[in-house]
Amino acid sequence: MKAAIPIWIAFIPSSLAWGIAAQAHGLTLDEVILMSAWVYSGPGQFAVLVPLAEGKSALQVVVTGFLMNLRFLPMSAALAPFFHGVNRWVLFFSAHVISASSFIVPYFQFQKDPAGEPNEPAAARSTAGYGRLAFFLGVGATSFTVWVVGTAAGFAAALGCPPGFEEAMKFILPGYFAGLLVVEMKCLTMALLCALSLIAAIPGALVSPRWGWLVTAIGTAILVWGWEQWSLHVSKSS
Amino acid sequence: MELTRIEIILIMGLMAFAVRVLPQVCFVGRQFPEVWDRLLRYLSYAFICGIISITLFMSGARFEKEAAPFRAVALAVTIIIAHRTKSAVTGMLTGMILVLLSSLVR
Repeated sequence: MKAAIPIWIAFIPSSLAWGIAAQAHGLTLDEVILMSAWVYSGPGQFAVLVPLAEGKSALQVVVTGFLMNLRFLPMSAALAPFFHGVNRWVLFFSAHVISASSFIVPYFQFQKDPAGEPNEPAAARSTAGYGRLAFFLGVGATSFTVWVVGTAAGFAAALGCPPGFEEAMKFILPGYFAGLLVVEMKCLTMALLCALSLIAAIPGALVSPRWGWLVTAIGTAILVWGWEQWSLHVSKSS
Repeated sequence: MELTRIEIILIMGLMAFAVRVLPQVCFVGRQFPEVWDRLLRYLSYAFICGIISITLFMSGARFEKEAAPFRAVALAVTIIIAHRTKSAVTGMLTGMILVLLSSLVR
């Protein structure tokens, strides 16, 4: 759980901000808590707040939310191999607490302790899988709780922070993510990918605020990966 | 058919849950081939960088051009400090202090 503390710290201002914004847009406390607990996606919740509050078409809200939440697909797929031997029903329910933050911390932790080798005994792999799931839930479930409670508190408080304080709070999440990436960065290709994705997201979001950054992120990743594969192919054949 | 806000939230949540749960149930215990595992890792890092970028520099569809240079400097300092100290939290705290100071100066 110690590993989750920076996420809790990061979630507090974001969840409070979401609660305050939702109240300002006229959502009820029930809707705010339901959305935080059931959708559980900061960027997704922020993205649909205005169309939902303004009574735009249900399709527009659902499609916007779906596009924002598509990022969970590769995150969940990247975590899945580490849970070998874990009961599928347990995974079915635990998957709900996957978020960008609760993905990053366990993922980096599991990278240090890679998934069991295929020739390792099944029992040992299963034990390791449950151990990793416990770590994941320690981070994910507690962060989830902080998020839901924080949004309710934000709704109740609905107080504006001083501008400077708000600005610093806004930096916690991206600052922590950037720090994690840098500490874990192992090669020049990764640095190139991160720099390109960071820059490309801005024009992407300007062209399409809802999914532009998502498209540029996918495009950049495929471009760098393709370039790397091509380089490997060329070096092998020469 | 008109849907209530609660119904829309329930549908949104169901779709988010499906996106989260499908890989967990279908790919559990499977090791991806190295080449695909690499693509998946690159996608995840690119998503994280995209989130960093839009959280720091965008406000909806608007680029926050007044605050962007200060936040960019804070991000650069965060990266340098995190790299030097090998600590994400130290980097983040340094960046936060810088952002706080810059917002007071402005």
